[in-house]
Amino acid sequence: MIQIRDLCHTFSIGKRGKEKRVPVLKNVSLEIEKGQIVSIVGKSGSGKSTLLHVLAGFMKPESGSIQVANQETALLSESEHAAFRLNHFGFIFQNFQLMPGLTAFENIELPLKLKGVPKKERQINVEALVKKVGITQVADHYPNELSGGQQQRVSIARALVTNSPIILADEPTGSLDSETEQEILLLIQSLNESLGLTFVIITHDDEVANIAHRKYRLHDGALVNGGVLHVV
Amino acid sequence: MSFRDQIDFIRQHMKKNKLRVFMTVLAATMGCAFLIVLASVGFGLHKTMTDEMMSNQLLTEVRIFGREDGDSQITTADQQKMSELENVKAVVSRSYVDGVTSISMNDRTGQGDVQLTNLKEEEKANLALSEGEMPTKPNEIVIGYHFAQKLLTEAETELASQSEDEIPTGYTESMIGKTISLELTPLTEEKSDPKVWDFVVTGVAKEPAKDWMMDLRVLIDESYRTEFQEFTQPEVPAEESYFEVYVYADDIQHVGAITDTLKNDGYNVYSITEEMETMDLFFTALKAGLLFVGTIAVLISSIGIFNTMTISVTERTREIGVMKAIGANPKLIQRLFLIESTWIGVLGTIIAVTLSYGISYLANWIIPEIVMNIVAEEGMEDISVTISLIPWQLVAIASFISIGVAMISGWRPARKATKIDVIQALRQEL
Repeated sequence: MIQIRDLCHTFSIGKRGKEKRVPVLKNVSLEIEKGQIVSIVGKSGSGKSTLLHVLAGFMKPESGSIQVANQETALLSESEHAAFRLNHFGFIFQNFQLMPGLTAFENIELPLKLKGVPKKERQINVEALVKKVGITQVADHYPNELSGGQQQRVSIARALVTNSPIILADEPTGSLDSETEQEILLLIQSLNESLGLTFVIITHDDEVANIAHRKYRLHDGALVNGGVLHVV
Repeated sequence: MSFRDQIDFIRQHMKKNKLRVFMTVLAATMGCAFLIVLASVGFGLHKTMTDEMMSNQLLTEVRIFGREDGDSQITTADQQKMSELENVKAVVSRSYVDGVTSISMNDRTGQGDVQLTNLKEEEKANLALSEGEMPTKPNEIVIGYHFAQKLLTEAETELASQSEDEIPTGYTESMIGKTISLELTPLTEEKSDPKVWDFVVTGVAKEPAKDWMMDLRVLIDESYRTEFQEFTQPEVPAEESYFEVYVYADDIQHVGAITDTLKNDGYNVYSITEEMETMDLFFTALKAGLLFVGTIAVLISSIGIFNTMTISVTERTREIGVMKAIGANPKLIQRLFLIESTWIGVLGTIIAVTLSYGISYLANWIIPEIVMNIVAEEGMEDISVTISLIPWQLVAIASFISIGVAMISGWRPARKATKIDVIQALRQEL
């Protein structure tokens, strides 16, 4: 599903003319199979978020190749990447990243609007998802009227609504209490099992990482032991 | 994203910032309304001047004063050639009697503007009658609308000379079928006896368009020209007598072409189109100047739109980042902001156009009243003054400028929105 080969990326830090180049990804190579939950763990500054950003196309890697669903994405233009994201990726963010001016229902509906899906179809899809993630009672609430767990459920529903095969999750339980964290992790697992979705989870929390089928650890931009740390 | 969804999205955002959007629309409205109202004064004054010129003179008339070389007179053959020109409806030659004229009818006498003319051509040239019909015989004539009012009895003449306030009514009954006598006295150093000709009135000309105009014409068939001249100036050959020629076009749009042809043929020509061309040029320059000044106001208001859109982009950085992250095309983001600034421009323009029509109506109602009260001259009430006029062309130009400027104002903020870095945007605190 996803093949990353020799991925390198460097940040320039400091004033212009006196920049210091800091390597954040060093020859990272990994493979993620369809229907797997894969976690990438590491300490702060280990490069795990950068890896996710490069994989999502938020930034271009310095070198290396990324293949998603047999398509080389590292060379796509910004517009092409946007279209690719819309069709292949769903996102779950630590801070939920919901639109404050839209209700839970409208937030979930947004990617479908971007895709140009007709209103009736949108309504059916979103209603089904609202039920699936368990937020029927609060679908017409605005994000600031929802709890953290409810907001993350909305965020998950938004990631699922376009039927994207890959869900990229950046610290999905980072802002939640332990009880809600468990609920969300169970939801992710059940979605993985029922829909066969591929999850790539970036986390520093071992408990979260442990739900994965495969676990990679990044240290100073490089994969520890050059690859898979743990296979369930 | 469908266009409808885009509009819904923008509307939702505008609702959230009602006050700011209202103030921006207000600025756009004021700029556009200023542009329209300012330029409308140019259009209004142009209309007033044109109407005034058109009401004082027949637009299709081309006057010929003679030949450019100044020597040769216009002959009957020349007139024949003129009448054969394309789009010429009538050619009328008018001359005045050389001598002292006095007109009488029974016990009444009066002075008239005696003109010798071709009445058939006059009819073709739109000589309209208020009463009676056009003459069919040489001794039949048409008189001006006010001529009968100047036919006074001796008592009325004396009364009028004694008091300026007393205005005699003259002959008030119908003149049709009445016989009037024209007494003609030659202008010679030696005293000579007058001669009298009798004419039957068959028609009375229509009332002039303006109240202050007095039509005292006595239109006599031109066949009398030779007879009159032989009596008043026997030493001058009849064919050398001076007369003016009027050529009438069948439509106003042909006046220019006829004027040019006659000029090329060596005639001294005057037509209202020439004067109007000069006037049009002046007013076109004036209107362009006013539009330019008005556009500056629109540009000033565009700063407001630019500001609003820039703030909007800054405020929504995180939202834009999220949209880009979940797959919104940068072009869509740009379009959303451009539509928003255009919508502000459109809204401002619609309100401005409505407002401008209101202001224009008030200006045309109040300002002439004030001016008339200040000037307060007799006859002024007859002049229709248009201070402000908003033709559809002005609305189109102003809308184009206003909406165009709004779009340009939104362009840079919209571009800025597309450049927002997703990672930076997602890191922003709520």
